[in-house]
Amino acid sequence: MSIDYTLDLRGESCPYPVIYTLETLQEMKKGELLQVIADCPAAFRNVPEEVVKHGYTLEQEPVKNGRELLFYIRA
Amino acid sequence: MLKKVFNQYWSPYIVMAVAGILSAVYFGITKTVWAVTGEFTRLGGHILELFGVDISDWAYFKLIHMEGTTFTRTDGWIVWGMFIGALLMVLFSNNFKIRMPRQKRRLFQGLIGGFVAGFGARMALGCNLAAFFTGVPQFSLHSWIFIVATAVGTFGGAKIVNTSWWKGKPVLQKGNTASIVKERKQIQPYIGAVLALAYALLIIYFYAAGKNMLGTAALFGAAFGILIERGQICFTSAFRDLWISGRATMTKAITLGMGVSSIVTLIIILVNGMDPVTKMAAPSTLIGGLLFGVGIVMAGGCETGMMYRLMEGQVIFLPVFIGNIAGATVLAYGWDHLGIYNALVKMGKPINLIEVMGPAWALISTLVLLAAGFLIAVIWQKNYRFGVGFKKGETKHVH
Repeated sequence: MSIDYTLDLRGESCPYPVIYTLETLQEMKKGELLQVIADCPAAFRNVPEEVVKHGYTLEQEPVKNGRELLFYIRA
Repeated sequence: MLKKVFNQYWSPYIVMAVAGILSAVYFGITKTVWAVTGEFTRLGGHILELFGVDISDWAYFKLIHMEGTTFTRTDGWIVWGMFIGALLMVLFSNNFKIRMPRQKRRLFQGLIGGFVAGFGARMALGCNLAAFFTGVPQFSLHSWIFIVATAVGTFGGAKIVNTSWWKGKPVLQKGNTASIVKERKQIQPYIGAVLALAYALLIIYFYAAGKNMLGTAALFGAAFGILIERGQICFTSAFRDLWISGRATMTKAITLGMGVSSIVTLIIILVNGMDPVTKMAAPSTLIGGLLFGVGIVMAGGCETGMMYRLMEGQVIFLPVFIGNIAGATVLAYGWDHLGIYNALVKMGKPINLIEVMGPAWALISTLVLLAAGFLIAVIWQKNYRFGVGFKKGETKHVH
């Protein structure tokens, strides 16, 4: 899996994880892969829900990395 | 089984329905509602007393009663119980971590937002609980005014946080910059178990010493804390996310919870012959709701959501908490000293739907309004998209 960009959202709380993720995906080319690192528990839920609703796909299940979560999103 | 309970968040719909039932039962036992900001204001009053300020003639503190300490009041134990209940869940799920905001401006934003929200909530005589989640089931008209005003306020708040100078920039880098950490031994659940045992003993002590109401408050407070943390309940997001990305999960869950609570509360009121808790509906309710709506979005959480996020170790909610208390205290000062009561509150009156239209129609109209809200949320979620709103078309790519 080749990751094109990494969005590090550690230390950001709502609503910024969702805003930053959707903004970044809009800027990316279709088909590129974005990795998102989040540590805000609310973002564990609303980031994946919102990217899917906005027409992007989760490349694989989120990976739990200690107390962080890694998302892989195809733009 | 245990892993499932503590390592996964619970359905917000079930959580809010249970919270709705519990808050109705709590009202039936104690005759008071589940609320937090009144106690925050009293904490502000105690801090002033600590610095030698004489608050005995402040009208607002007379209104909300300053008797005793936070540890001898049921409202106090609701607050501490919520903190402890939430912390227990965070520890059991091994999820406590000091989460420092990367952008330092967030701390200042939290302080300002917390202040505005605290000030507004107390002006309206409630917050997202007494003037919202537990206000609607009491059929108090002021909570409907507050909800509409809060919705409008959050729209303004969403505009503010979306400006580039407020929002700031994320850390975006090419390639893969994540480093995988090794799983370490979990000690947090053990700390949680010790804390849970100590808290259980405290509750048993309250009942054994005949302080039944304090025991009940401590017990229900912990239950509310457990529920809001496990459901990640966020009243702020219930409105704000509609304006930002059209997410309505919390909107729907909270609306459902209020519906359940309204039914159970009415039954309890009728069976026990109780009087519902009715608060003043006045211009202050509207203005307070507007300020509250703006403030909670700027702060990133309301007076309830702030509590469990702080227990998760989100440092940003420390200035929010301080701001909440400071804002509530300044409102208490301004109530009589700056003429807020005379200008915005005096002409209002407490209006209860049960008195106006009888219990049956009060319940029917409440449920119809809630159902309408739920339906709007469903349609909104389906059609509203980030950056484009209700406009048709696929999500755009800039390149």
